[in-house]
Order: sequence, then C-alpha cells, then structure tokens
Amino acid sequence: MPKIEVQEDLFYDLLGKKYTDSRLEDIFPVAKAELDGHDVDEKIIKIELNDTNRPDLWSAAGVARQINAYTEGGAPLYDFFSTADETFDSEGRSLIVDESAKDVRPYSIGFAAKGKVVDEPILLALIQSQEKLCWNFGRKRKSIAMGIYRSDLIKYPVHYKGADPDTTHFVPLGMDEDLTLRQICEQHPKGKEYGYIVADKPLFPYLYDDNGDTLSFPPVINSARIGAVEVGDENLFIELSGTELHDLLLCASIMACDMADMGFDILPVKVVFPYDTEFGREITVPYYFQKPASCPLAQVRKTLGEPITGEQAVESLKRMGVYSVYDQTDDAIYATVPEYRNDFLHPVDLVEDVMIGYGLSNFAPQMPGDFTVGRLSAAEEFGRKIKEIMVGLGFQEMMYNYLGSRKEYIDNMHVGGDDYIQIANPMSENYEFVRPSIIPSLLESESMSGHAPYPHDIFEVGKVAFLCPEDNSGTTTRNYLGFFCADNVMGYNEASSYVNTLMYFINREYFLADLDGDTRFIPGRCAAIMVGERKVGYFGEIHPAVLESWGCSMPSIACELDLDLLLE
Amino acid sequence: MDIDVKNLHPLEVRLLRHVASGEDITTDRIVKELDYKVGQCNQAFSWLSAKGYLVEKRRSNRVLYELTELGREQQEKGTPAQRIFALLQNEGPLGLPQVAQRLGLEKSDVGSAFGQLSKAGVCAMTGDNQAQVLKEELPADVLGAAALLKRGLSGQLDEASLSNEDKQIMAKIAKKRGAAGSPFKVVEREEIVYTLTEAGGQARQAVFAANITGEELGAVTVQMLATGAWKNASFRPYALNAPTSRLIPGRRNPYGSYLQWVKDKLCSLGFEEFDGPLVETEFWNGDALFMPQFHSARDIHDVYYVKNASHCKKIEEPWLSQVARTHEDGWTTGSRGWGYAFDHEFTRRQVLRSQGTVLSAHQLTKAKVPGKYFGVVRCFRYDQVDATHGADFYQTEGIVLGEDVNLKTLLGLLKMFAEEIAGAEEVKYVPGYFPFTEPSIEVHIKHPVLGWFELGGSGIFRPEVTKALGIDVPVLAWGLGIDRMALMHLGLNDLRELFTPNIESVRMRRGN
Repeated sequence: MPKIEVQEDLFYDLLGKKYTDSRLEDIFPVAKAELDGHDVDEKIIKIELNDTNRPDLWSAAGVARQINAYTEGGAPLYDFFSTADETFDSEGRSLIVDESAKDVRPYSIGFAAKGKVVDEPILLALIQSQEKLCWNFGRKRKSIAMGIYRSDLIKYPVHYKGADPDTTHFVPLGMDEDLTLRQICEQHPKGKEYGYIVADKPLFPYLYDDNGDTLSFPPVINSARIGAVEVGDENLFIELSGTELHDLLLCASIMACDMADMGFDILPVKVVFPYDTEFGREITVPYYFQKPASCPLAQVRKTLGEPITGEQAVESLKRMGVYSVYDQTDDAIYATVPEYRNDFLHPVDLVEDVMIGYGLSNFAPQMPGDFTVGRLSAAEEFGRKIKEIMVGLGFQEMMYNYLGSRKEYIDNMHVGGDDYIQIANPMSENYEFVRPSIIPSLLESESMSGHAPYPHDIFEVGKVAFLCPEDNSGTTTRNYLGFFCADNVMGYNEASSYVNTLMYFINREYFLADLDGDTRFIPGRCAAIMVGERKVGYFGEIHPAVLESWGCSMPSIACELDLDLLLE
Repeated sequence: MDIDVKNLHPLEVRLLRHVASGEDITTDRIVKELDYKVGQCNQAFSWLSAKGYLVEKRRSNRVLYELTELGREQQEKGTPAQRIFALLQNEGPLGLPQVAQRLGLEKSDVGSAFGQLSKAGVCAMTGDNQAQVLKEELPADVLGAAALLKRGLSGQLDEASLSNEDKQIMAKIAKKRGAAGSPFKVVEREEIVYTLTEAGGQARQAVFAANITGEELGAVTVQMLATGAWKNASFRPYALNAPTSRLIPGRRNPYGSYLQWVKDKLCSLGFEEFDGPLVETEFWNGDALFMPQFHSARDIHDVYYVKNASHCKKIEEPWLSQVARTHEDGWTTGSRGWGYAFDHEFTRRQVLRSQGTVLSAHQLTKAKVPGKYFGVVRCFRYDQVDATHGADFYQTEGIVLGEDVNLKTLLGLLKMFAEEIAGAEEVKYVPGYFPFTEPSIEVHIKHPVLGWFELGGSGIFRPEVTKALGIDVPVLAWGLGIDRMALMHLGLNDLRELFTPNIESVRMRRGN
C-alpha cells in the first residue's frame, strides 16, 4: 500500500488550517488513510493510503481535498478540463506523436502549468506524486511514466517518436556525458533500473522539442537541461507516456488538479496522434473522459441496511467530493465522477462512497438473523482424534513451516525429490520447495534439539504436497500424520508397536509389506502400512546415513500416514 | 530454632539419636556403630551439615594399609620365608635354584627371603651351596609379617592400631607406589571429624521428643502389603516440599490448541469449515476475486510460482468464461469490468495460495444460502522472513451468504468476533480497501492487553466476484488477524516462534 510523506506546512496550507495529530487520526479514515508518523523536527507527516485503486489520494493535495470535501461538504470545481464536446484553446502548445511510437510505447500526453514559483515543498510533492503514480499505479513505469520539464526552454510543438537507440543521444539528468539511448540503458542508474521495459524493442521512446532539444527518454530518464526542474522555476510542462491511454489521462488529471490546488494555473496542451485512440486522434489535455455513474436507491438501502433517502445519499456523496442528483422517477442516484477518479466500476462503488459520507458510526451493528449449523471438516475431526491418541502415547505435537530447502528435503534425506513441488521464484534457497513429507521437519527438530532431555517423541498432523500428474493441477495436497522417536534404545519394534496401537484405536485393519528402495530407512527395517490393497503409510528405522547428514546422534524411527486415505 | 523433624531422613534421625553433643563423629565410628555404608554415612554428614546440625571440628591425615593381590596370595600360601623354611624342614638341604623351582618363586625373591632367614640365624648355607635349617622356630619378623597379612584380610589396617614392632615390619612390606610387588599398599586418607552444633543438639532433642527412631516405614512395598508388616509399624512422614523430578508429558502444541479454540468458537457461531489444496491457479488466487491480471499484488515479487507443475490442465466451467467476461466488460454483473483482454494462459498458471480468500471464492461455487463458512488455512507470501513475516502462515477467513445480509449485519458479525474471539473492550470500524469487496471495512479493537489494533478486514463481496461464481445474494467476507493474539496468548513476540522446530522450546511453552 502506498505510503507518502508530506511537508507539514504545505499540507496544512492545502487543508486550510492546522490539524492536531489526533484530529488527523480521526478524520483520515474518510480518505482510507492512516497517520503513519509525524516527524516534528523535519516537519514531515507520514501517511499510509489503503486504497490501491484511488491514486488521486496518494498526495498531500489529494488527501487534503478529500478531507476538505468531507468537512466542508463539497470539492472544488476545476475549469480547465476539455471534454469530447468542449475543447479549450491550447494556444499553440501541442505534442505530436509520431507513427513510429505505436509499437514502442504508443501514448504520450502532456499539459503545462504556470503562475506559481516552485519551492522546496512543492518540488518534493511533485517528485513524490511522480514516483507513486508511476510505481504503484503505473506498474513500476511499465504502463505509466511521467516527466516534469522546464516549459520556458521548450519550443512547441513537442515531438514523441520511436527513435534509433544507437544514434539518438543526449546528456541524461545526473550525468555529464552525452550518451546514446542504448548506452543510457547500460550505464545510467535509471537505465539499469528501467531500461528493461523497452530493451527488446527495435526503437526506443524519445521526446524532444521543435528545436530538436531532448526532453527525455521515457520511461527511463529526463535530459539534463530541459528535464532538470529546480526550485525557482515557474513554468512547467508535464508529460506522461505509457501503454494505457485512460490511465495516462487519469494521472494527468490527478497531477493537474493537485497542481491547481497548490496554486498553479493549468494550461491545456493539444496532443495529436497519427492513429486512432479510444478518444480520437486529437485530445486536449487535461481531458475529462469519465462517464457518469449511477445506482438505484434501493441498492444503497439494501447494501447498507439503512433506509437512506435520496437527499441523504446525494448529501453523503457530496461529502466525498462526488456531485450527484437523485431522480425520483427512477428512484436512482446519478453522479458526476470527479476528474481525478476512475474507480466507479459498479453501482456498489457509489454505495461505498455514500457509506463513508454518511458516516460509518451512523450504522448500528446488527446480528445476522439466519440460522446455520456450525461444523468442522471431516479432516479436522479425524486429525483431532489422531492427535489425541498421539498425545496419549506420550508424543509432543509440533507445528512446522511448509517451505524448505533442497538441503533439508532432498540432500539430507538421501532421496531424488523427483516429485517435489519446486518454487520458480524462491526468495531464498531456504524456502525453495513445498514439503512433500513431514519427516524432514521432524528430523530438523531432532538435529537442533540434542540438548533437550530424551526420549524425543514428537509428531505433527499437517499438510504435505507433491506432484501428481493425474490431478488437474498436477499436484496433490494431503493431510498427513508424521511421528518420530529418538532415544538411546529405539528401533523397528518400538515403531511397529506405536503403529499397531494407533491403528487399533482408529479401528483400521492393516498388514505390513516390504518397503523396498526407500533410502531414508535401513533396508529390512522398514515397512509399508497396507490397508486392503492400498499403501496408507510407512515407517522404519532412519538410516544412519540420513542421521549423519542431519547431525543426529541418537537411534531414530519415523512413520508417516496419509490421513486422507485412512478417512476414505 | 524451628526444627521440622519430618525433613530428616532416617539416616539423619538414627545418627542424631546415636551421638551426643561434644562427641567426635567420624565415618569410621558411624560405619562401625550404626552399620552404615560409607556412602550412607557421607550422605548423612552432608545433609546434616547443610542443615547446620553438624560442623567440622578438625581434619587429620590417616595412614591405612591395604592388602594387595600379592598380599592375599602370600596370606593364603605363606610368605616366601615361611615356605622356604617349611620346604627345607621337610626335605633337608637343597640348592637355592632348586628351592625356587620347587616353590615356583622368582630366584630374587628366594634370595631375599633366604637372606632374611640366614640373617636371623634360622638357616645357613652348607659348604656345597646347599641351604639347610638350623633352628626349629621362624624368626619374629617373619611371624609378625604373617600375622599382619592375616589381620589385613578383614580390611584396611589403621597405622594407629599397630604396635611399634608391627610398624617396623609393615615399613618393610608396604609400599605407597608400585605396590604390586609388595603385600601391602599404603593408603593415605584425610579424615574429617565432625561434632554436633547447638542446633544439632536441639534437633537431637526434637527427634527424641517426637519419638522418631529412624526405623519408621519408608516406601510402601508389595512385600509389606503381603506380609502386613505395616500393621505393627508407623510410616515415616515425607518432606512435602522435596524437589520434584522432571516429567515429559505427551502434549498438544499450544499454538495448535489456540487455533483449535478459534475453530471451535467459529463453529459455535454457526460457521462450517472449509479447506483446500496448497497449490492454486491464478484463476482462483486472483481472477475469481476480480483482481485484474495486471494488479500489482499479482506481481512475481508478491506470489510464489510453481516451477514444475506450472499450469493446471483446465479451469472449471462455467466459472472460467463468466469470470473472464466479468474482467473484460462486466458480463451481467452490472459492472463495466476492467476493460482489458483476459489472458486465458495466465489464468492457468499455478501459485502457492497467497490468501485465504481464495478458498472463500471456491466455497461460493458450492455454498448453501443461507450459509456461513470459515477456514483457518495456510498461505504463502513472497516476503523476507522476519519477526513479523513468515514464509507461510495461517489466515482465518470466512463468508456469510444470505438474502438479508448487509453492512449493518457485517458490523454485527465483526462485533461478535471482536467480543467472542478477541475479548475486545471497544470496537471501532473504519473504511478499508480490498480489491474484492465493496464496501470494505476494517475493524479495530481495544484489547485488554494489546491496546488498539486492527483485528481484521472485511466487506461485502463485489457482485463481480459473487455473480461470476453463480451467487445472487450478498456475501459478507471477513478475515481475522489472530496471530497477534496467539503470540500474546503464548507469551511470544516473534511470528517465527509459532512454527519453531525446537523441541524443548515447544515442550516448555504454555498459554496464558
């Protein structure tokens, strides 16, 4: 979940007043936010945002806007959005997309801003918005990358194209050398981090102005000149490139509204595509593309369990910054989606905003009325019976992690591990396999418990999983019992006695058969436990070679039973 | 001084009764007079000293003589001097080599023994090198040595018990080191002389006053019961607070017991348990929960992919088609969908179950209405393992299906969990966010020990989730973070401890 740090003064300015921390804690839930910390010396407030589908909240301006709407009963109206019906004059500012960009990174859009001198808090806020939007919403720049430029240095129109990575070159931000796009991918820190996004394309995305001066190599790095915004700059150009046009437009809207809230005048830029987009070939940005949302009042009432009136619903939505009307004839709410939001997928999304706006504390908890029968699963019931017997036999119940290493499950056990489930992307070699058996877990216990008074009699009832080609998933998960004993004198006869006692009390007839080729046990001192024609488990004396691998020094036995088979 | 005679062992009682204040008390004395074994005697001294009843008066070094193997043999067969004398007496003069041969002795031993005899004038050598007897009696030192050997049979000889003549003889036949060639070995021992303290004197009085003899019956034996010997005797009272021995019982794992308690609690609230396999498909792990396939939580850095069973064979219909359509354009759920082309290959890819809600989704396809279901299920998350993150962990999740469930019944359900399972004093609800519920609610509780914390997340399943899986009624979905309470219950503060392989640690663990 996104976490942001906001400059205290900027945040209070945006809120219109100073809030105490405890007041912030009380009001933050309306933005699904939590106060994560307040560094009084550095004057930084840390906020965690829980809604991953509300990128408009991931900034000081966004959180402040939501809180102000709630406390003041409405959100600001923005007058710089073009729509499908109304296009603002871009006064010569345009961004021209070249056909060559289509197969590289098809969309680039932008807008300009002026009228506010960038100070330190604003610069930090802009950089943070850029990072959060591109990282959390833009899939780590894959679908959205953003650049902020010094508009004074730009000669419009700005051009966006797919460029030859080996002949196109400029001085990237943070370096002194003039490098080609490919060299940037190889040498620049940002190139190493993000270059992979375009590395396999024949052409790389490239943004430059009408003089041929570089703005950036999206999604990797800005130029050191036009792309180096500093404190004191007053005129900015914001550009976003990526793969999903409506996501780019949404992020542009969020940036534009945030900047307007911070005191900038937003200036439209006309973006011209040589190919069709869902919003046409010419889009003047910021662009309002959202469709109205609606919800029957009956659904609001049913979902919330409260006889909310149309007027109450409209008022509640207003407190969430959403303007709506209640249509008596349809008995429905019709809402205009704010420019900076695109999270109304279903009428229930409006219902939630009504809920928050109405105030969660205004809903009285009520017990569900339906009668239902509580019941444990059959496997749980059987597992409990097994545990009771094992405890009665003097065993200590253990509980283990289900992931382990090659060393634990394969090398130390002297087995091949051909049917073990392996993880394709392990975080560490310690957790590379799903456990196929409880026995390695039990042996790990023994290997680290030499100091614990003997005898060691331990067991676990838990899950194991391994490959099983007949299953749709190619794997099977089983409920197993595994038990293990180690002591000065411990061998096959003891193990067989335990098995016999257990099978007596769960009332299963069994016989023992040879267990050939199981290298975990001493040959001739291990057996398969058969119920009818089916092998339901096995036990035996752990082979000294296995004990040696685990560093165990006591004679040991182990047994494993498939409880699912026994239960059938 | 407060003296509890019940804390005295019979060995102590008998000793106290036997010795008077001011007397010297030594091992030798007690062994001799009370017929204790040396070990019993030392135990009695040690216990009485610890209680302050005995005190060391002085230490002295004693010299003891102990028969060696050779000594025992000589005692039995006679010393070389005795045997030479007897041989010569019976058979007349013989050469020394002949004597050695006949007696089976080393020539050197024969030489030195004969020297001893000739020195005393009892034997002499003839002109032709034949040894002969001159007198009828053996010399005094030979007879003295034989007498010492005999005395040595009954145990160590104390130097103090020997006459001056015996001491001189002993000096010749005893050795401190390398004594194998000598009949006696010299043993030096430090002897401790104890005496009763004032408290010891009082204890002695108390023993007499209580009329305890040390002959009272100890453990009840089979024989005692068979013979009825107990009828004419009294039982010794035992020390009630004597140290106990370590027992290792068979036992449940306390974390397991806690989870079992939670399951029982949920059953008592009308929930039916569900479970499922550890390997899941992207379909159930994310798609069915209306998480778009490009969602950041579905990244390679968040979920474990299975390497060698990378894709399932097929996804069950009609769920696959319905879910795919819902993602694309909302299908008939009333949603506009995510607006992207659903990837049918990706959806078959297999992962380790990353959230318990997956099983709630499965349950929807077979649920009854009304219905309440829960699971305490193992999940896997791509996280660095540390005190607050395990490689795998249990999640407690569930659903409630019903025509009339709504936000208010969700709040009621959460309140019930908070009170019944967490023992909450206060409950607070705040709006939350989960991709698969709308609205979403987090429940925070004030716990008597832990203070305010987030107990769980919940919400009403999005219609995109329920309708696509064939359910037309609202479904409440909830998850509870019970590990935090489990840790507190077990007195732990590290999640890794819940699954520790350390046997002793689990054996000693107990719930609060």
